[in-house]
Amino acid sequence: MNTQPNWNSWQEMRRLQQTMEHLFSDFAPAGRWSLTGEYPPVNLTREDKAITLEALCPGVDRGSLDISVIGDAVTIRGERKAEPEVPEERYYRRERPLGGFTRTVSVGERLDPDQTQARYANGILRVQLARAPEAAPKKIAIQS
Amino acid sequence: MATMTAPTNAGPATTRREGAERKAPTVSPRVDIYETEKAYVLLADMPGIGPDGLDVVAERDELIVRGRVEPPATTPDYQEFELANYYRAFALTEDLDTSAITATLKDGVLKLEIPKSPRVQPKKIQVRVE
Repeated sequence: MNTQPNWNSWQEMRRLQQTMEHLFSDFAPAGRWSLTGEYPPVNLTREDKAITLEALCPGVDRGSLDISVIGDAVTIRGERKAEPEVPEERYYRRERPLGGFTRTVSVGERLDPDQTQARYANGILRVQLARAPEAAPKKIAIQS
Repeated sequence: MATMTAPTNAGPATTRREGAERKAPTVSPRVDIYETEKAYVLLADMPGIGPDGLDVVAERDELIVRGRVEPPATTPDYQEFELANYYRAFALTEDLDTSAITATLKDGVLKLEIPKSPRVQPKKIQVRVE
């Protein structure tokens, strides 16, 4: 039984959007950032100890990657550069989007910026976020 | 070079609940192809693929790129992307030296360098002055 109809239709929309992007990417001017919507796409997993944010962003220049945490928001910045010294006319096909991006995601819980850890592997940026101490559940001792 | 064959479809939509158990969809990776003096270079976006999951086969007149992802152990609480397997085939022309293809994988981008056969590489002709 489908208990989450919104999820399904949302995913269908996303798929349609991706198909359209793919169709039109052949006509997009070469080298232009052709992704529509927010980039990079992210997944969020909440666990007791941490919140993990994953961003799908292959081929980002590592030196350009920048992550900042303020309040309950994480901002990811980066840039994907073109191959150096390859003139436009040498390209037969250009489907991969290039350029800079900035995305801010609010996780809805106060975060501890000092405890943030990030790893970039296989084109996926994984940011491990820690809740701010006051946001973590605290056991209150009851005085007798 | 490199005409593209039909990409495989992305599979039917399923509910989130099935997430962890169902098979990853297969998508066609986005590619750039450019030519240098000595080779054709193909760049393919394949995020999520490690060296173990990558398969590049050049057979007769076809180059096939495949990537296999490890399905994630947990389903995210909020999800905008799903790791996918990759498949794309390219037609190879006769002027390419498929025995000397080099492949590198970095940060989810596959780079293939396919050298041109020596006989089609530009050759500088020395002019003799008489």
